[in-house]
Amino acid sequence: MSAEHRPHPTPPQYWRIAAFLAAVTALEVAMFYIDRELELGFLNTAVLVTLSAVKFLVVVGWFMHVRFERPMISRFFTAGFVLACSLYLVVLAALGVVAIRG
Amino acid sequence: MSDLAHDQVVAHHDEHESTGIESRKLGMWVFLSSEFLFFGALISNYLLYSNRAGFDGIYPAEIYDIPFTSVSSFVLLMSSLTMVLAHHALSRDDQNTARTWLFATAALGSVFLGGQVFEFTEFVVEHDMTLSTNPAASAFYLLTGFHGTHVAIGVVMLLSLWGISRRQGGLSFRQGLNLELVGLYWHFVDIIWIVIFTVVYLLSSPPG
Repeated sequence: MSAEHRPHPTPPQYWRIAAFLAAVTALEVAMFYIDRELELGFLNTAVLVTLSAVKFLVVVGWFMHVRFERPMISRFFTAGFVLACSLYLVVLAALGVVAIRG
Repeated sequence: MSDLAHDQVVAHHDEHESTGIESRKLGMWVFLSSEFLFFGALISNYLLYSNRAGFDGIYPAEIYDIPFTSVSSFVLLMSSLTMVLAHHALSRDDQNTARTWLFATAALGSVFLGGQVFEFTEFVVEHDMTLSTNPAASAFYLLTGFHGTHVAIGVVMLLSLWGISRRQGGLSFRQGLNLELVGLYWHFVDIIWIVIFTVVYLLSSPPG
């Protein structure tokens, strides 16, 4: 079944998605306080970035309907996102803000 | 020809011939895609200065109120839910429900903006952190201020659609596409906040 023929979620499904997003946000805040106590360092960064990416993908996929749209739309969107991330990652690495290990 | 039929004919002519996607919708996706570069620059600017040592004055990361910002984040996330429910209701031609969710989205957006105004006021009055205190503070206000401006523009667009719907007793097919475009913009503002909340509030720390 092509993406554009997938049925869109129903209102109860949208509510469940929102509850999931709220739960992930609560988990993020909990991680922030756990890190204050235990100083998890890189693990905290990895977990928070992963949780944030999950929320990002859920909103883009289900609320913005990218999962149900023509592939061209997701290609446009992904291209802009990847271009921006790559560009600024290189800039921040060049300025010594982030470390890229080869 | 009825208004609705006329709108459908006009919409059909608007459709991009080679892509099969309505040209205004494709334009909105391209615009949102380009917005990643805009916000990417502001987030990078913040990362560059947020924990660089040697500046006078207080750093933003020293005074964040995480519980308060968490509630603001929750409010903005829920506004994405009400937005998608408005879109769903309109796709079923349930005009009253669509109007209600549209207003709820604008109201939640306004609550988020109110929270941001409160946060900025606290930072300036209680902690004496202004736009010119140091580059870290400037980068913080620039990033969150521009995001807030995007939210404010979204609220104006939502209230405009709500007003049109209320005056006309509903949105036409063509205006329905406007709601979809405003919805895309609104969800985009939400995903940018998802990134800002994590990178700026939860992960950044003052120098030392």
